[in-house]
Amino acid sequence: MKQTLRPANLAKRILMSEYFVLYLTIVYLIVLTPIIPRLWHPMNIQNVLSNMWPLLVVAIGQTFVLILAGIDLSQTSVMAMSSVVGAVVMTSSADPVLFTKSPLWGTLLTDQGGLMASSPFALPVGIAVMLAVGLAIGFLNGFSVAIFRMPPFIVTLVSMMLFSAMAIFLTKSENIRHLPDSYLQISKTTFSVVSGSLVIAIVLAVIAHMVLTRTLFGKRLYAVGINTTASQISGVPTRKTIIAAYMVSGLCAAIAAILYSSRLEMGRPTLGSTLFIDIVGANIIGGISLAGGKGKVTWTIFGVFFFIILANSLNMLNLSFYIIDMVKGSVILVAALLDVARNRIRKAQM
Amino acid sequence: MKKGIVLFVVLCLLVPTLLFSAGKKESDQITIAFCFQDLETEFWVAGHKAITESLRENGIRVIEKNANEDANRQLEQVKDVITQGVDGIIIIPQDGESAVTIAKTANAAGVPIGIFNRPPSDKSAKNLVVVANNEVIAEAAVEHMAQEAMKLGRKVYPAIMVGDLGDPNAVGRRQGFMNVMAKYPELWAAPPVEIPTKWDANVALANLQSAMQANPKIDFLFTSSDFLFPVIKSVLAPLNKWVKINNPNHVILGGLDGDVTAAQLLEEGYLDATGVQNLFYEADVMLEAMLAAIKAGDKTPDKWMDDPGFALTQANLATRAEEMWGWVLYKEKK
Repeated sequence: MKQTLRPANLAKRILMSEYFVLYLTIVYLIVLTPIIPRLWHPMNIQNVLSNMWPLLVVAIGQTFVLILAGIDLSQTSVMAMSSVVGAVVMTSSADPVLFTKSPLWGTLLTDQGGLMASSPFALPVGIAVMLAVGLAIGFLNGFSVAIFRMPPFIVTLVSMMLFSAMAIFLTKSENIRHLPDSYLQISKTTFSVVSGSLVIAIVLAVIAHMVLTRTLFGKRLYAVGINTTASQISGVPTRKTIIAAYMVSGLCAAIAAILYSSRLEMGRPTLGSTLFIDIVGANIIGGISLAGGKGKVTWTIFGVFFFIILANSLNMLNLSFYIIDMVKGSVILVAALLDVARNRIRKAQM
Repeated sequence: MKKGIVLFVVLCLLVPTLLFSAGKKESDQITIAFCFQDLETEFWVAGHKAITESLRENGIRVIEKNANEDANRQLEQVKDVITQGVDGIIIIPQDGESAVTIAKTANAAGVPIGIFNRPPSDKSAKNLVVVANNEVIAEAAVEHMAQEAMKLGRKVYPAIMVGDLGDPNAVGRRQGFMNVMAKYPELWAAPPVEIPTKWDANVALANLQSAMQANPKIDFLFTSSDFLFPVIKSVLAPLNKWVKINNPNHVILGGLDGDVTAAQLLEEGYLDATGVQNLFYEADVMLEAMLAAIKAGDKTPDKWMDDPGFALTQANLATRAEEMWGWVLYKEKK
C-alpha cells in the first residue's frame, strides 16, 4: 500500500533517502544565492570544483577503510611523503643553500635536480614512484591491522607520525620546486572547468563505485565491515581484504598528493597536514558510517561537495577563520548525530 | 523518480546561475584582501594590526583571511577573494615558494598583489614586495654582540638559532650572522653551532636544550627571531645562564624583529641587541604602492621595497628605542 505523504512521513523519507545530503546541499545553495551573489560566478564555480577534486580523491580512499570499520589517519603523511619523493625524482634543480643538509643531497638530489631531472620519463617515473609510496605505506598499515590485529587507530596514527617526520627529515623541511611543466598542467584548468584533476577524480570515482558495487572484493569489504568474525567463518579472506583496503586508501592519498602538489607547483613535506578533518568530515557528512559496513562512493561525492560548498560559502561570507572552523566542526557533529538517528529509524523499521 | 531528481537538481543549479552569474561589485569603495598565514607571534600580530589599521584609516574595505599555516588553504582563500572582485591583495605567505604560486594566480586574474615581509623565493611572478633587509639588520645586531664579546678579552662559543630556511628571511638572517663570524675569526673558540627552529617554539626548545647539553660552553647566542626569547629563558635559567649583562655567567644575547619581549629584555638588561624591522614603515609603503597601482589601473605592479631597519642595542637604547615598534607597544602596555 502506498504510504501517504504526511509532513512527518515526508521528513522521515527525506532523512532516510540516499540523496539526503544532496537535497541539503541544494537547499543550502538556494538559501545562500541571494546572500552571496557571486556564489554562481563562473570563477567561483571553477574554484569550488578545483578545490573539490583532490579532496574527493583522498576521501574515496578513506571510504574504503571506513566501510571496513577502520580509519586511516596516515593519509596526510602519505600525501606528504609522496609529494616529496615524487618531487625528488622530477625536479630539474635544487638550491644548495636549502638542501645541502638533506640526507638526499649529493645522491638523489643535486643542484642539477633529481634522479630523472630533465629526462622525458621524469613525469611517468615520478608519478609511478608517488603511487608506489602510497601503496607501500597502505600495505604496511593493512598488514599491521590484519596480521598483528593491531587497532587501526594506533597503527595509522604511528604511520602518520613516522612518515610525516620522515618527509620533513628527507627535505629538512624545505619545499621542492622546479617540477616539470607537464606535471604542473595536471591541475591547470582548460575550457573553464575541465582539468586533469577533474578527469582523474571522476575516473577514480567511477572505478571505486564499480569496485564497491560490482566486484567480489567490494562485497567482502562490506561483509568484513559488518562482522569480521562472521565473514571469516563464512570463508571471506579477511586479512587480504583488510590489506587491500588500506592499500587503496594509500593509493588514493598518493593520487591526491599528485593533484595538490601539482596545484601548488611543489613537493611539500607538510602537504595535507591540516586536511584530515576535511577528509573524515566529508565522509561523515556523506553518511559513511564510522561503525563500518555502510557507505557508497556517491555518498562520499555528496559529502565532499557539501563540505567544499560549505567552506567556500563561509569564505565568501568573509567570516573569521575561527568561526569557519567552528561551523565546520558543528556541521560534522550534526552529520554524525544524523547518522545515529537514521540508524535508529532503520532498526525501528525492521 | 530518479529522472525527476536529476531534473530537479539541474533546475536548482541552472536557475540561480542565470539569475546571479553577472554579480557586480557592491560599491565603488576600494576593497583589499589581507591574507595572512597565521598570527602566532607578536611580530605577526603587530604586522596584522599595522596593515589593517592603515587600510581602514584610508577608508578601504578590508577582507581578512587566516590560512592557519596551510599553503593550500591560503591559495584557495586567495582564489576566493579574487572571485569576490577585490581591487588588491596583500599576503603574508606561509613561505617563499608558496608566495610565488599565489602571486602567479593573482597575476593571471589581473589583481595586484603585495607580499608583506616574507619575500617570494624567486622573481618569476610580478608583485609588490616589502621586506626588511634581513642580512644587514642581523649583521648590525651581531656586530654589537661581537664588540661586547671582545671586551671579555677571551674567545667565545657562538651559536645561532636558525629559522626555517625555506623562508628567505631566515636565510638572510643566518647570512648576516655568518658575515660577522667571518669578520672576526680570532674571536670564536669553535665554529658556530646552528640550532634549527623551523620557526616553531617546540622545535626550538628541544633543539636548544640538546645544543646546550652538547655544547655547555655556548656564551654567545643569536636567535633569528625575538619570539624565541621565552624559549631561551626556559633553557638558560636552569643552567644559571639567564642573568643580566654584567654577570659573569651572562650569555651574550641578540635577536631580530624588535618585538615587545625584546623591548622588555633590553630595558631589564638581559638582552644585548636586537635587529629591528620597521613594521609601521613597511605597512605604509605597501599601502602607498598598492593604492598607486590600483589608481593607475596597473594589474601586475612589480616593485621591491626595502625596509633598511637598524639594530637597537644597549649602546643606543636611550636615543633610538622609540623607533622600535615593540618598544612603542611595550610602553603602551606599561
